[in-house]
Formats: sequence, structure tokens, C-alpha cells
Amino acid sequence: MTISRRVFVKSGGLAFVSLGLDPLFLARAAFALDRPAVRPSDRPILVCLFQRGAVDGLNMIVPHGEPAYYQERPRIAIPATDVVDLDGHFGLHPSLAPLKGLWDSKSLAAIHAIGSPDSTRSHFDAQDYMETGTPGVKSTADGWANRYCQHDREHADTPFRAVAFGPQLPRALAGSAPSLAIDDLQAFGLRVPQEAARDRLTRAFEELYDGAGTGLLASSSREGFEAVQMLKRADPTQYRPENGADYPPGRLGKTLLQIAQLIKADVGLEIAFADCSGWDTHVNQGSSEGQLAARLRELGLALLAFDKDLGDHMHNVVVLTMSEFGRTIRENGNSGTDHGHATAMLALGGPVKGGRVLGRWPGLGIEQRFEGRDVAVTTDFRDLFGEILSRHLGATDLGAVFPGYAPSPERFVGAIRG
Amino acid sequence: MLSIVAAVCLLTAQAPGPGLTARDSAFHALNRLAYGARPGEADSVAKVGVMRWIERQLDADHIPDSHLAERERQFRILDLGRADLAGRYRNAVRERQRMQRELAASGDTMPMRAAGPMREFRELGGELQQLAIVRATVSERQLREVMVDFWTNHFNVFVGKGADRFLLPSYIEETIRPRALGRFEDLLIATARSPAMLFYLDNAQSVAPGSEPPRMRGFNPERMPPPRGINENYARELLELHTLGVDGGYSQQDVINVARIFTGWSIERPERGAGFVYRDWAHDPSDKQVLGQTFKSAGEDEGVRLLRFLASQHATMHHVSAKLCARFVADEPPDGCIDAAVAAWQKTRGDIRAVLRAIFTSPDFWAPQAVRAKVKTPFEFVVSAVRAAGIEPDDTPRLAQLVARLGEPLYQQPAPTGYAETEAHWVNSGALLARMNAAMMIAKECSSVPMLDDQSQLVDTIDAKLLGGTMSAHTRSVILEQLTDITDPEQARVMAVGLALGGPDFQRQ
Repeated sequence: MTISRRVFVKSGGLAFVSLGLDPLFLARAAFALDRPAVRPSDRPILVCLFQRGAVDGLNMIVPHGEPAYYQERPRIAIPATDVVDLDGHFGLHPSLAPLKGLWDSKSLAAIHAIGSPDSTRSHFDAQDYMETGTPGVKSTADGWANRYCQHDREHADTPFRAVAFGPQLPRALAGSAPSLAIDDLQAFGLRVPQEAARDRLTRAFEELYDGAGTGLLASSSREGFEAVQMLKRADPTQYRPENGADYPPGRLGKTLLQIAQLIKADVGLEIAFADCSGWDTHVNQGSSEGQLAARLRELGLALLAFDKDLGDHMHNVVVLTMSEFGRTIRENGNSGTDHGHATAMLALGGPVKGGRVLGRWPGLGIEQRFEGRDVAVTTDFRDLFGEILSRHLGATDLGAVFPGYAPSPERFVGAIRG
Repeated sequence: MLSIVAAVCLLTAQAPGPGLTARDSAFHALNRLAYGARPGEADSVAKVGVMRWIERQLDADHIPDSHLAERERQFRILDLGRADLAGRYRNAVRERQRMQRELAASGDTMPMRAAGPMREFRELGGELQQLAIVRATVSERQLREVMVDFWTNHFNVFVGKGADRFLLPSYIEETIRPRALGRFEDLLIATARSPAMLFYLDNAQSVAPGSEPPRMRGFNPERMPPPRGINENYARELLELHTLGVDGGYSQQDVINVARIFTGWSIERPERGAGFVYRDWAHDPSDKQVLGQTFKSAGEDEGVRLLRFLASQHATMHHVSAKLCARFVADEPPDGCIDAAVAAWQKTRGDIRAVLRAIFTSPDFWAPQAVRAKVKTPFEFVVSAVRAAGIEPDDTPRLAQLVARLGEPLYQQPAPTGYAETEAHWVNSGALLARMNAAMMIAKECSSVPMLDDQSQLVDTIDAKLLGGTMSAHTRSVILEQLTDITDPEQARVMAVGLALGGPDFQRQ
């Protein structure tokens, strides 16, 4: 598809110029013929939110039934009276109260004591491992989401298949399969006020980069120009959130709104990836109120708005939060927490078997901890990612996505409906 | 004396690179040691001799730089000390709190526009970014500006973190800039003692467990509980990022012991100038072991001894040299230039100029596969385009905003890693489209290319002035094809310059 359109643009453009036909129109006509057989809206979609900085899983999904939790965190524990109870043992941070309805309707699940088998407490390394999907191996060149796209080619017919929202492509999407980084959907493409002039300039640059040979410059520019054409057809400038969805101000709300926009535009999105930062709470983390509470409030409101806005579309969407590691069980000398080990993740959407805290809870007793101080990992993050990739997106070769590991159904936590 | 000997060695070194003309060599050196060539500069460097030019760049203090000095006088931020900025920041925070209170009281949802101290402080932040652009563009001491950028990134501090909003200017001016071509050890110690780093990586809050502060006047424990233990953050990043590297052979226990050594390294309160202070009461008084070496209890001096020890470790030399080679030679640098850099480091005990000289005289630097092999970073792209186009950058934050749009906003990398040195981190489809937009904007202000009626001559001029004669045949034919139906010479000039700057040839260096 990619190749045929480009050949068409080139030869068509040169051949028909003398007839006065707009080569771009012809290109678009050719493109329309090649629309995928599967209606895009029937595709399963995965939205990944990376909480960079290591979110404190213990204050996000609070083990209020554990006395050790309160003993170790005299200043920052969430008082039991503030916790939004889920199952008598765990509860939501009060800032996440807006999500309780989704929990009750069984489309929200939490996975606790999840993380990487690698013991690193470096943000950089742990994020790298979670994105490459190969803990302990620094030399892996591509990310797990990209490898999934490389090996499951069924949907490889649109430049919007894998999209990162932000100025840079994250490690998870880096690799040989085309993927796109979009900072702002509405400003995507060349900024020229008149449409005809914009199209002309776009074509000129496209031709210039056609001669750039191989390598990252060439492939990135090719993906960019294809995306410009598709978005032009989808016209995202007219977007209004539906069902009274109210995205919170700030980057996360804006990003999720754009993801919702792209899902509804039916351009073939399969994996969306976004960052939300501000979780590295070494100092004055706060309890029911404070620094972490503010970040969680934004997260909860943004997820709620996203779910509302998408309405029925959510039956095919899974939102997964992830973070490189958790934080120390004991609060530090600055009313904060330092780098720890296991954390908690959230899965939201129609395909999610929600209303449950999944994963085996290791407990917080000294002998149950990792290296005597941190929450132990009982679920390898690759087993959760693998379950979602295979049972939700339909991945067929998890061994290729997670080389050297191969997540196995016996270890799946059961986050996705069978 | 040593530098004279080194200079003689350099001048008698073999002519660079097989197959490179004097002009190509000059263009290559200008791409790497400088922010690209200004129109005609490749020729003038070739005339002086590229190795002689490199040696002059290494001896930056002796290069006259009066135009930059004149430009710097326009930047208010350079007249304001740390204490002054701290005061202005405090006023801005007060204004914001007052506005929030008023907003809450009025039940209004429309945010009010910042008028006084908040706006002023934000403008100062913009000035700081634009100052970096102006310096990189107009300074004659180009290599030093490149190294300021390199070290600022290596010892990254995120301007958006609380007090770093007012600590960053002095970090750039007083910590990084004077030492960019000095000794690594001095730079390392200066960053460790800098209030900006002490705040960014939380060492200012790290105290020995059980230590108690003396009674402090005006200290309100309700509002700000006193720190009560060590914080490992700086210790970890010091070992992993600043010195040994992640595979540098240290353990979690080493990290803890490094943190104990730095207990007490902190910052004065903002109203006292927010300078470095060593608080003996907060210091862990026991002996510590790091990488098998014992550090006897010696108060503040322990930390300095540890930093000297780390600076001289082989893992540090290798880690930092490899990063320098990634910046100057290739994203995946060959072993040869790294080994040469490490050898120079060992011999001179970390003289940065000697390490750079070793890289620039290494055959790997001049190898054909290194030439034009790197893709410019967002900052390099914007500054090199402005230089090539002969634009004098103004003191508005406009160009800094362009850099941000390309994906690497100045001083705004939250992670202590800084921005990566490899192209995969900044080459992606969205960022490339942003480069094309930036190129068209810059083209409108280009003064280095005259209007010419002859389109072929126009493209030749652009090739010579902007691309040092490296324009590909494909680029040339596409630009000429685009010009065929443009009759207005001004429009043709903007189109041709924009395509040249935004096209693939100019992205490379």
C-alpha cells in the first residue's frame, strides 16, 4: 500500500500535470480504493499512559488493610477514612474517586505488585527496560510496541497505527515499524494558511525527502507525509468532546482528548502512547492532599473524561497505565518516598475484566519485601502487557515481542475478558 | 608550555582525512566544533588551515568576541544575581497565590492574566533561553559554546523544578560556563556544590539519620517538616550519569555510602542568597566505603575527595569520553577515538581541552564515514540555519520556541539524563515536519542570499552559502522544478532557501 501510493504520486504527478489534474487528488483517489476491509472502528485499540518518574503504587491503590502500611508512613499514608474502599483490603486514593463508578461497572481493574524482575532503581534504566520489554538487556534497539507492529502485519496499512503523543517518539514505539510522534493534532503538517499553497509545499518537501535514500530521515519523513494526507481527510479541527465529557486542564487532558479524537476519526489507530510526568515524589509527597494527590486527581479526571467522551467506542479500547517502578514502603526523611521496586497499574475499558485488584499481593512484612525495603514484584510486567497484546489486540507471536521471555497464559493475571 | 607543545603537534599532524578537500575539511570541522558555517566561513577557515583554526578554538580565551559582549549587555538576566532572582521569584509566587485566592473567592473560572512579578519572571525565563541562542549564533568562541551546551546537558538541571527556576541562571553563568574547557574534576566539584544541582537532585534535603537541626529562627515545622534522613537521588545520578556510567561497577551500597558522604551539602535560605552551605550538624560522621576505598570522616572535605576520586576512575574517563565522541564523531563512535580521548585524559588528569584535541586529531574524526553522518539536534538545526541565513537573532524568545517545537526545549528536560546524543531521539515524522516549518520561517528573514533573476544561479548561491557546496543533485533538481512557475524573485528566493534549509541535506552535519 505504502509503496503503491508513492509510485502513484510520483508517476501520476509527472504524467498528469500537463492535463491540469491535481496529482494530490489522484493520490487521494488511489488511497481511497485501498481502504482496509476491516472497518477501523472495529479494531481493538490500546492506549498506554506512562507515568514517568515512578508512581507510588501504595498511595495510588492503597493497601489500607495492612497495618505495616500505616506504621511505615506516619506522615504520608492515606488515612483509612479517606480511602475509597474497593474490596475491604485495597482502596483508591481519594483523588481517584471519580473512577469509582468505572470500578463498579467492572471496566476498571488494578494490578498490584507488578514490575520488572530487574532490580535497578534508576529511572532511566527501568523506563528503558519497560519500554524495550527486555529487563536487564541494555542493547535492545527497539521497543515492545514496535516489535508487536513488526510481527503482526494485519493492520499495517495506516501511518496512524502506532502514535505517540508528544514531541518525541518514546522508546516503546522506536523501531523499524512505522510509528508517528504527534505533538498537536491540529497543527500537524506544514503551516501555510492557504490550502493550495500548503499542498504544493508539502509535495515539494515530499519529493525532496524521496531522494534522501535510506535511514531514519527518509523513513520518518515518509511516515510524516502519509499522515498529513490522512489527517486532512479526517479534519480534526471540528472536534467537540461528547456526552458531557470534561477534560481537566493540562497536558494529560489535552493528550487524551486528542487520542479520543483520533479514535473517532477512524484512521486506523491501534496503539496510542502518551507520557504523564511528575511522579518522582522524593520530597513532600503529601497524603490525601498534596503533590501526589494533585497528580492523581488530574489522572482520574482525565481518564473519566476519556471514557465518557468515547462512549460506545470504549468497547474496543483498553487504557493501560504503567510506571518504571514503585517507591519505598517507608517514607523518607523529607516526607517523600525514594525509588522502590513493584508498583500498581490500572487497566480501563470494555474488554477489561474489572472491579478487581489483580495479581498476587506479597504483603508488606519485612520478610515479604524485596531487599528488605520495597514491595516485591509478583507479576512480571511482560505478563500483563503480553496478555493485553494477545487477548485484546490479537497478537500471535509474543515470543517475538518479548524476546527471551515469552509470556505464558498460566501467568496472565486475567485482566482481559475471555 | 604544555599547550605550545600540543599546538605544535597538532599543526604538524597529517592533513585531515583522505579524500577531503581543504574546504570540505573546514566545513566538517565547522559542523562539529561550531554551530555550522556562516556564509563564506568554510573558505576562510580553509585559508587559515583547519588544524590551526581548531587550535584557536581550543584556546577560546584569546579569541576576541566583542560582538557577543555587546549583545550580552541587552540581557537583563545577566545583571541579576541569585539573591535578586530569588526575591523576584518569591514575589511571583506571592502574586500567583494571591490571584488563586481571589479566584477562589470570586468563584470565577476564567484565569486572570498575570501582570506584575509573574509575567516579569516568565519573561526572564524566556531571556535565559534566548541568551543561549544568541551566544551559540554570534560567538566567535564557537567550540566553547558547543561545550557549554554539552556540559549543561551532561549535568542536566530541569528549570521547571521549584527553586531551580531562579537557580538556573547562576548555574549556567557561574558553574558551567567558566569551566567548559577547563578540568573535568573542577567542573564536577562545581556542579556538586551548585545550589541548582543540590536542589534538583534533592541533596539539599539529605541529612544523616537521627541528626537534629539547631533551633532556627523563623523556621515553622508545621509548614515544612525538617528533613529526617538521607536522600539517594544525587548519589545515584552522580555515579550513573555524571561519572562512572551505569555499567561502572558500583553497588546499591556504594550509592547509599555516597549519599552519606554528601549529607550536609545544602543551600542557604533564599533570603540569604540561596548559596552553597555545608551544615555540619546534618553530616554523617562515620567512615564510609565507596568502590572499596575508605573515606575517613572529614566533614565537607570527604565529598571533595570522593569527587576527585570519581573523576580519576577509568570508568568515568571512558563513559564521558564515549559521550564526547558521540557528540563530535558519530552516534555510535568507533573505539579508536574513545581510546585516544581516554589516553589524553589519563595523561593530563582530565584537561578537557587535551581530551577534545585527541578526538579532533583522531583519524576517526576525519574518516569519510564520519563526515555528514550525524543528524543535527533541534538546537543545532535552528542555530546553524540562523547562522547560514545571516540572521542576527533578536532578544525575544521566538527562536527558543522553535527549538522547543522540534522536541528539545532548552533547560526543560525533566530527567537527569539530559537529552540523548543519538538521532533516534529527535528524528521522527512530527519533528521533521516541524523542521520544515521552521525552515520556511527562517527563510523569510534570510539575508545571506540575494534575490536573483537567474534561478540556476540562485540555487548555486544557496548551495555555496548555506550548504558549503554539498547540495545533492536531487535537491538541486527538486528546487529548480519548484521554481519554474514562480516569477517573483523574492518569492523564489524564500521558496528555494526554505526548501534547502528544510530538506534532507541541511539536516546532516
